[in-house]
Amino acid sequence: MPNDTIIFASIFGGCALGALLATVLKGKAMRVAWAGFGCLASIAMLALGVGGVFAESARHIPLWTVPHVGPVSFSVDHLSGFFLIVTALVAIPAMIFAAATTSDEKARKTPLAPLSLVLLASVALVILAADVFLFIVAWEVMSILIYLLACGGPKERPGYLMLAVGETGTLAVLVALLLLGSHAGSLSFQAIQASSAGLSATLVEVVFALTFLGFGVKAGLIPLNFWLPEAYTAIPSPIMPFVAGATLNLGLYGIMRSNMYFLPTTFAGPGVCMLLVGAVTALIGILYATIADDFKTLLAHSSIENAGIITTAFGAGMIFLSAGHKAAAAMALIAALYHLLNHSIFKTLLFMGAGTLERSANTRSLDEMGGLLKRMPWTGLFVLVGALSISAMPPFNGFVSEWLTIESLLRSVELSSMGLKMVFVAAGAAIMLTAGLAVTCFVRAFAMSFLGISRSEKAANASETNRAALSTMAAVAVICFVLGVVPTFAIPALDRVVAPVAGASGSTALVPTFFHPDTDKLPKKFTAEFHDLGAQIGKDAIPARGMVVMHRGGKKNPVVFAMSTPYMFVMLVVLLAALVLIVRLATKNRKVSRRPRWDGGVRRFLPEMTYTATGFAQPVRVLFEAIFRPKVSDRRESIAQHFRMSIQRKREEIHLIDRLILYPLAKATKAVAAVFAKMHNGRINAYAVYALLALIIFLAIAAAL
Amino acid sequence: MSDDMMEQIKKLCPKTRVKTDKRSGDVEFLCDRASTPRVCQCLAEDHDFQFAGLVVEERKEWELNYIFSGVTPNGRAVVKTKAPLDDREFESVSVLVHAADWHEREAEDLFGLVFKGHPRLGDFILHDDVWQEGVEPMRRAFKPETALSSREPRDGWRPRKIVDVPGGFIMPIGPVFSGDAESVHFQLETIGEEVMYAFPRLFFKYRGVEKIVEGRSAEDALLLVERFAGTTAFSHALAFSMAVERLAKADIPERAKFLRVFLAELERFRSHLSTINAICASTGLAVGASQTAILEEKALRISGALTGHRYLFGLAALGGLTRDFDKIALHTALDGVADVLDEAGRVENLLVNTSSFLDRLEEVGAIERDQAVLHGLVGPVARASGYLRDLRETQPYAAYDKCGFKSVGEVEGDGYARLRVLFREIERSVEMMKRVVAELPDGPCYSPVSFAKGAAFAGVETPRGAAWHWVRMDKNGKIERCRLATPSFTNWHGFHLAAENFAFQDFPIILATFGLSVAENDR
Amino acid sequence: MSGWIIKGLKSGVVSTHYPDGGENAQGVSPGLPSPAGGVGVDTPIGRCPTSALKAKDGGAALDKFRCVHCHRCDRNVEPTIPWDSSYEWAEKRGKTPELPKAFQRSTHIRVLDAGDCGACLNEMKLLNNPFYNMHRLGFFITPTPRQADLLVVLGPVADHMKTALLKAYEAMPAPKKVMSVGTCSATGGVFEDGFMTSTKLEDIIPVDVVVPGCPPPPLAILHGLLLVTGREDEIRSDATARPAADSSGKEAGDA
Repeated sequence: MPNDTIIFASIFGGCALGALLATVLKGKAMRVAWAGFGCLASIAMLALGVGGVFAESARHIPLWTVPHVGPVSFSVDHLSGFFLIVTALVAIPAMIFAAATTSDEKARKTPLAPLSLVLLASVALVILAADVFLFIVAWEVMSILIYLLACGGPKERPGYLMLAVGETGTLAVLVALLLLGSHAGSLSFQAIQASSAGLSATLVEVVFALTFLGFGVKAGLIPLNFWLPEAYTAIPSPIMPFVAGATLNLGLYGIMRSNMYFLPTTFAGPGVCMLLVGAVTALIGILYATIADDFKTLLAHSSIENAGIITTAFGAGMIFLSAGHKAAAAMALIAALYHLLNHSIFKTLLFMGAGTLERSANTRSLDEMGGLLKRMPWTGLFVLVGALSISAMPPFNGFVSEWLTIESLLRSVELSSMGLKMVFVAAGAAIMLTAGLAVTCFVRAFAMSFLGISRSEKAANASETNRAALSTMAAVAVICFVLGVVPTFAIPALDRVVAPVAGASGSTALVPTFFHPDTDKLPKKFTAEFHDLGAQIGKDAIPARGMVVMHRGGKKNPVVFAMSTPYMFVMLVVLLAALVLIVRLATKNRKVSRRPRWDGGVRRFLPEMTYTATGFAQPVRVLFEAIFRPKVSDRRESIAQHFRMSIQRKREEIHLIDRLILYPLAKATKAVAAVFAKMHNGRINAYAVYALLALIIFLAIAAAL
Repeated sequence: MSDDMMEQIKKLCPKTRVKTDKRSGDVEFLCDRASTPRVCQCLAEDHDFQFAGLVVEERKEWELNYIFSGVTPNGRAVVKTKAPLDDREFESVSVLVHAADWHEREAEDLFGLVFKGHPRLGDFILHDDVWQEGVEPMRRAFKPETALSSREPRDGWRPRKIVDVPGGFIMPIGPVFSGDAESVHFQLETIGEEVMYAFPRLFFKYRGVEKIVEGRSAEDALLLVERFAGTTAFSHALAFSMAVERLAKADIPERAKFLRVFLAELERFRSHLSTINAICASTGLAVGASQTAILEEKALRISGALTGHRYLFGLAALGGLTRDFDKIALHTALDGVADVLDEAGRVENLLVNTSSFLDRLEEVGAIERDQAVLHGLVGPVARASGYLRDLRETQPYAAYDKCGFKSVGEVEGDGYARLRVLFREIERSVEMMKRVVAELPDGPCYSPVSFAKGAAFAGVETPRGAAWHWVRMDKNGKIERCRLATPSFTNWHGFHLAAENFAFQDFPIILATFGLSVAENDR
Repeated sequence: MSGWIIKGLKSGVVSTHYPDGGENAQGVSPGLPSPAGGVGVDTPIGRCPTSALKAKDGGAALDKFRCVHCHRCDRNVEPTIPWDSSYEWAEKRGKTPELPKAFQRSTHIRVLDAGDCGACLNEMKLLNNPFYNMHRLGFFITPTPRQADLLVVLGPVADHMKTALLKAYEAMPAPKKVMSVGTCSATGGVFEDGFMTSTKLEDIIPVDVVVPGCPPPPLAILHGLLLVTGREDEIRSDATARPAADSSGKEAGDA
């Protein structure tokens, strides 16, 4: 292990130097500095993270003592190690992608390179911070940097909205952490963690509510997620993959950190809350993603959906933990972490694709795309991989983690409380519906952009992006594939993060001992039968256990849920190859003649005559009209009262959260402000009465105390 | 014609010259170009005249005849306006009388006339994406040998699109679609699921019948007139014959008049059964479709057995009919028709008790009465909307006045109302046929017609509504100009009224309940 | 609902026996002039508006692809040309290879209206009704030429329909057959001289079978379908069915 100084110097010094050089340099040199120092910092983070995950215990690195605040320090434990790895895996390709796709003109207009490198450093700082002071400072730096990125666009609203909501969240988090700190008598995380057992139930509830609300803002959980689609759309495309892949996680990091370490794990309440909020967030997220026309907005809503899924799995884990089902808890937590990892990876890939589409086709509107696969075959392939991953299709990574999530939700049958079971059923149903809609959503996203014929001039003139950008996309796509085919490599590592908290090894739970022939706990005959499932055969064919298995029930009647992604992949390849071979052989002597498509005999089939993305989503719109509640107004124009010349339809869809929470809140605030405004009538005697009233109230309170 | 109307028109256009035909009672108002629209509006809005057609003639001058049909037996009026041949600009009448819309578009396409104020000219009969600009086929100078349309559509041509909604698109249907549909192209403007507006792009089947008959004898023209719309051949042949007979001031034998009623009603009976069959099929009611198909085939066989032709081709003659029928044959046919009607009654009884069938018809494709009036809709479609116009009643021709015909209608204007009108009308048709057989006078059924120079027109209530045929003959007894204003042309114009904001799966049903013919429209 | 079942059962079987035997119900065919010899028929020949009748060997000869059943040769004229009420009028053309056996007994048809007046199309549609029921013989109408083995074209080819016709023909997979139905698509019929209808179907795409008639009755089209699919040997009707005389008799289809 290289020593800490070198590593920290590489991360923070690298980012700082990179930012400096990128500001000074221009053109290609700037790109090289940006990508190079970004990668250097990321690789250092990767090393630090791997060290953290595989170390036996947490490592504390005291830094210095700030006057009036106390000592500040870094710490690398399993959880922060895991998040460092995720951030690094995202940052390496994302930084190269950003450097490769930022045009000189754009770089001149907004200092993307320095901002992104400082952002990377601040993300590392948030993860490494081991006390309240440093954590809040890092958190604020990160928020401001994202605000600056979001303000680079033509509109200021997204940035302000994000900052306003974000600050509310930070305030809530700060209050919660200070409450914990005052209870522990110290602001260091170590002390807070140590004193967690002694927290009163009320304090746990208050702290949970504040942290969940506050971190939920960054994670995109309802109700405070309305800033996210707007900000994601406003942030420049080159840097968006990194922002989407790394910063959303920090909200989840906060939630996990506070619930796994700061708060006692004996209460079911927080878990239930997270389970339900997560499930509702997921469903609402995917519904709005399915009808979105803007590709980036679609991906933003899908990020909300995935944050919801992760929170659901995490909440399930916390419930299992509070109920004492350690193995189940470990599995659910592994599912949450694995989905978090996967989501970061494929969302980075998809935002790279969206950025490339925006750059090449000069539009983000799916309605205006179409037929791009012919012009951008490679981008198309990688976006397809991303879409398959996010739709949970084997052999890609989304499949594994969503399968694990749903399987762990199904384990609620082990719980004894009927109420909890019902909560799980509701959440499970929402997650299943979400998974189904996700397929619709991304079939639409891919088909409407890449398939068919171009529906606009811009799309017809699109061209493939540069090789550097393509190769980063290729790398991320490969990660999606690897994580999807051999999850059995990743799961033991995640288990290291989870096991200390859950008090049980998820790995062991996932791959039960009776798959080992040397075990003598079970009759040989029984294990021999299970050999055919392939747990052991895998050892010869693929250098890993090829199967993810879950089991429950007693030793005599084990119920096994198994899923083997490597074999699934092998079978997929074999079957497809066989199919191709059979078709080839069967049609060897046939002449294939290709004819133009049948279009009903119209003289020329025009792009206007093909389905648009809006049209494709219309069934979902109609089906969930109760949620979308669109306001439709038609205006019909006629000449001389009867020549129908145009029908204009305006369709206003106010987001559910805006409609139910934000707008009433804004209205109430305005009403209160109006009342206060009335009081400011400028008459001296009225003010004297106010002063008198205030004095009386003050005195009354003082007397009561 | 009432006096206050004359006064009103005199006020609108003081220079109007009024000419009344003594024999038929038709009135012609010769107006200047500027006041023509106002005069037309006065007829249509204040005096309950229905626009029937526009006849453009290229003679020594441009002559435009806007034909109107009123509610009295002699209630036909023509508003005529003239302009020198080198001046092709006219005031658009359709701005004030909307029913003239398509007629003016047709005149623009085929003659190159310009109608000032008409907002939508071009791409109508001659498709703009392939047709050569400036070639006007109905003009005298037109040479058929000139290359007319290219096979490759013009680049940059875009279909008309009126719906402006983000993500909206056109769902194209046809021209070759469905199993055995006539060739017509529909543009369904939609955002998915719901169709916001649908309009037909017609005239894929335009054969230029009106041009082909020019320079032919009336007898030869009759062949084409009864074959351009085969499913209503007799009615059109009758309208054409009547126009020529009116021009020749010929008297038709009484027996021929009665037999013409019989044949016209037989045709209506069969055509309505065919429409009912199409409605059943469009709703996916298989047994109902089969049962009504049996009835249609029976009606066809009765026609074939009686007249020698299943579609009544070759029966109408200028001056009567080409053949007579003996009493036994007529009675046999009548018995057959009565049997079919009984069967149809039983089928109707089943249909109105099939809720799945009614659900798909009720409130589908509804047209309000005032819209029907505005678009001058005709036939069962108009009568189902409460617009009770039937030439057999208002301007009885042949022997309808002696048969005591009364029209039937409904008020809802939806698909179900149209279906009921069809059923009531086939009952009336059989009643008429019975009256004819009971009161058929003896005598010849044909008397030769001597041709005369000039122009005349006649209207006939075909199964789909009022058709107006205009004929001008030259001194050699050849046709100089023939205009076929058909009910399908009129009703296709109003089709979009029934096709706004509907679910996609209702489209075939709306189409079927209209019972339109593309061939009759395209000519 | 049960009402429909009872109604359906009550209707019984009304399908024709053709092609296992001749159909002699009245009114199934308009018939054609059958000029067998005859002297002094110049007047009726002269009255033929479509030159379907021509003088031959002192008598008259019929070009059935031009006849439009106008009856000008047997009504109000002396002497008259006799008419028969046959319907097996279709004739083979061209030398395209026969459809493979598998396609012969399950033939999918794309009907294409290239300017037809509605009568031919109606007769084509009626082949699906219980009287003719072409499904029993393995003929099916399909909406897309992609799945069609046979293109049935009706009407004179209107200029605006040419592109659609060519596209539909192009879209059909081989082996494919084309059948022309009606006098109009055979010779142009009464529209022969039109400026929009001056090209014959055979000048545009190769035609295998031509069914004359204005319109050809359903049985004539059925005969054409059997011919175009190479199933002539299945036709066991007498060459001429009983004449569909003008009067007398109840229709046989009423069974």
